Amino acid sequence: MNILQEFGVNPLLLAAQIVNFLIILYLLKRFAYKPIFKMLNDRKKTIAEGIKNAEEAAKALEKATEEEKKVLRKAQEEAQRILSDAKNQADATMSEARDTARKQVEQMLDDARAKIAEDTKAMEKQLAVSTAAMAVDLLKQSVKDIFTAKEQQEAVNKLSKKISKKN
Amino acid sequence: MAMVELAAETLFRIGSFPVTNTLTEIVIVDALIIAGIVLLNKNIKKIPGAFQNLVEIVVDGFYGLTESISPKSAMSIFPYFMSLFVFILLANWLSLFPGFGTVGLKSKEGIIAFLRAGGSDINFTLALAIIATIATQVLAIKTIGIKHHLARYFSFNPIFLFVGLLEILSIFTNVVSLSFRLFGNIFAGDVVLTTISQMFAFILPLPFMALEIIVGLVQALVFAMLTMAFMAILTTPHNEGGEH
Repeated sequence: MNILQEFGVNPLLLAAQIVNFLIILYLLKRFAYKPIFKMLNDRKKTIAEGIKNAEEAAKALEKATEEEKKVLRKAQEEAQRILSDAKNQADATMSEARDTARKQVEQMLDDARAKIAEDTKAMEKQLAVSTAAMAVDLLKQSVKDIFTAKEQQEAVNKLSKKISKKN
Repeated sequence: MAMVELAAETLFRIGSFPVTNTLTEIVIVDALIIAGIVLLNKNIKKIPGAFQNLVEIVVDGFYGLTESISPKSAMSIFPYFMSLFVFILLANWLSLFPGFGTVGLKSKEGIIAFLRAGGSDINFTLALAIIATIATQVLAIKTIGIKHHLARYFSFNPIFLFVGLLEILSIFTNVVSLSFRLFGNIFAGDVVLTTISQMFAFILPLPFMALEIIVGLVQALVFAMLTMAFMAILTTPHNEGGEH
């Protein structure tokens, strides 16, 4: 007991120190460590989420780039196909138009030839008629003083019949 | 010439309760810790300021240390480890400020200082050692169960029973060693500083002050680390640590 007194051990002081430290321990645990751990965990979560989001964004970007390339390739193929189809269609249309035009031209030529032939025939007929009329007139003028009216008429009729037969 | 008494000097009494000069220092330490808690809670933000940053670094570092030694019980051990360290460190370092051990009441025996290092009072160190030891036992029972905990001390095998009895004895020797190590170091430092300051007022006490800063830090760390080590050992199931 003497040693304890020498060192100043006092049950009241000892109890006070124990209570004091327990209070400080509680305060630190409740109001210092708890909020700090919460903050550290929140920050860790935020950082982890940020990294996760960045990774996801990178993946999405990669996927989008891949998709974009795929779409572009597809579009190029489609464009190539459309171009090729259009070219084929244009060739076909042109060929068809050319054929139609050729046919139309041939038809027109045939028509023109037929018309010309018809016109020629008509003109020949007309010419024959005119020639006959001129011949009759010429005959009338030539025989007016030589033959009588009756003979003139007979000669004209004869000539007319001959011309008619000829035509 | 002022002498450093082994026991803390009583400044006044409240009834039968003696208010000693070490107790006044502890009250200042309490006030500093509470002020720190208030300051931290007032300014706690996701993007930390300088003070919060410092606290976070220390807490995270100490928690990492606890986790590396006892991964399973780190969350239970950490508050004791950290609180003991902070409390002892502040008490040790605060006593190096001017006015400690020098400003006080004049009496027949000399000057009774208003403030004295908390660690130089056996009541302070003994209280902390008792708390550390009881907390260690409570944590061990909570973590591994009373059956496994008692199996550490009692066995039908006479050799293990003897080892267990030694372990029981070590609980008490731990209290003594923890409290007297801290008390001895801080009290000795107090004596050295008082003596050297009375011999040479200027310059010469400076290396001793620097030494006391290191001693204060080391002793706080030793006390807290030993407590943590005891807790880590006792919260590990008997078989996990290997057979005797």
